[in-house]
Amino acid sequence: MDFLARLEHSGFSVWVRESGSLFAFPGILLMHTYGMAVLVGIIAAVDLRILGFAPALPLKPIARLFPLLWAAFWVNAVTGTILLIADATTKLTNPDFFIKLGFIALAVVNQRRIERRVFGDPQLDDRAFPPGAKRLAVVSMVCWLGAITAGRLLAYVGPVAGLK
Amino acid sequence: MAEFFENSAHLHILLNHVPTVGFGMGLGLFLIALLKRSESLQRTCLVIFFLVANVAIATYTTGNAGETVIAARNVTVGVTEGSPIITSAGGLFSWDAGRQLKIGDAVYRIERYASADEATLDRPYAGPTDPSASARLLAPFPVSSSAIRRHEDAAFVAFVLMEVTGFFAWLALWQWRALSRLATWNLVVVSLLSLATFGLMARAATLGGDIHHEEVAYQADASVDGTANEGTGLARTIGGFVNGASGQTWVWATCETLHFVGLCLLFTVVLLVDLRMLGFMKGISFAALFQLLPIGMLGFGLNLITGMMFFIAVPGQYVHNVTFFWKIVFVVLGGFNVLYFMLDDEPWRVGAGDEAPFGAKLAAGSAIFIWVAVLFCGHMLPFIGNAF
Repeated sequence: MDFLARLEHSGFSVWVRESGSLFAFPGILLMHTYGMAVLVGIIAAVDLRILGFAPALPLKPIARLFPLLWAAFWVNAVTGTILLIADATTKLTNPDFFIKLGFIALAVVNQRRIERRVFGDPQLDDRAFPPGAKRLAVVSMVCWLGAITAGRLLAYVGPVAGLK
Repeated sequence: MAEFFENSAHLHILLNHVPTVGFGMGLGLFLIALLKRSESLQRTCLVIFFLVANVAIATYTTGNAGETVIAARNVTVGVTEGSPIITSAGGLFSWDAGRQLKIGDAVYRIERYASADEATLDRPYAGPTDPSASARLLAPFPVSSSAIRRHEDAAFVAFVLMEVTGFFAWLALWQWRALSRLATWNLVVVSLLSLATFGLMARAATLGGDIHHEEVAYQADASVDGTANEGTGLARTIGGFVNGASGQTWVWATCETLHFVGLCLLFTVVLLVDLRMLGFMKGISFAALFQLLPIGMLGFGLNLITGMMFFIAVPGQYVHNVTFFWKIVFVVLGGFNVLYFMLDDEPWRVGAGDEAPFGAKLAAGSAIFIWVAVLFCGHMLPFIGNAF
């Protein structure tokens, strides 16, 4: 607990929380939102395609966007960590935060599987998806929906610091 | 200039003709097109319906700004010498110079508009020293606030139906491209919806005219009491449900969560279509990308619904908010932008492996700019503007 309080009272955390600068809390949260839009936006395209939407859309070229997808993921890992230490005593004692992290961990493992199993097929787009592809897509959508929901609810359930 | 952005009331007077006159002309042409079985004229009318529904978003949201300028309101003033400070104005008010403020029996004229919650009176104020003293901001001319409520409710219902019409008109245009013909069932749906929308919108317009067009009909009940009928009516009831008037926060939180889900779906299409046009993923043809568009429209629809929920819940925190003003500007521009991809033949010639033409790149680049800006404005509502 003492460690969390020290994190939260560090000069950097105080700047993020209380400086009032648009580059502090508002700007970091904005980057977190852009990161989410890019990350979940691209993933949703792949998931929906596997589930049968836009059947004419070839999947293989979409792999070109994976570096962008993972860049967005790391932007969110960094901005998320900053937002976390600025509010450590509240977030790290909120069960909802761990539910969010659980969903993200599962989603990341699942995404690596999609990249390996579905995109690893050299004949992707020329034959049916490997067995289990649809299940991976459903798990992916459920996990990201869960992560977004749990993330938004951090402002409402459990200990809430007033930062939204 | 700053006041123009803080006060979108005059924009409402300009934009309110689009959903009535614009939609009416579209409907007239549509009926002719159905009789003549002219598919190209039908398509033109579908474009008109979509565009009018798009602009109607701005018409509806500026309406609440209009209300704050003409409606009389009870305000609470904390008074120091000469200059009263408003501490509560029920969220909606206009504190412009020339307006009158009634405190007790004395009427003061507001001499100078200082800021969103401060103003100077034309003579030294010597009223009650109680900081919660009640005063009433007087309307510049007699206005019936129950007439405003009736107009708002009629406009709300008409607006909802118009957006549904716009959605089906867009879907029909999409089907025309994807299936290379207009789907008959959807033309029937659009016909019925557009007739109903026109009737409801005409009613909303008439009730809007009743608010203070004295040459039309001056209502006998034109009271200047800003509290008449407060909090009743459909839009206000739904708004109260969303903003947690009876203590519940789950509706607002649910709408926020869905708003995030919707923006991800919208970005699915923005990223894939526009990055492809700009030169990434050249193995995808435009025809294949086109199948994705309804997913973006679904995300947009989800966000229009949840966004309007926020708006009708607390209109006062948006109507004088410069960030909200720009958000709506960019949303309307986004509607115009998507029409390029719906209608122009140019992107359709982009097959797998082809370089997109300059026009498509321009449209794709501006689409990314527009939606990044919409997200920026939405996110900054509480930080740059005065929301929340």
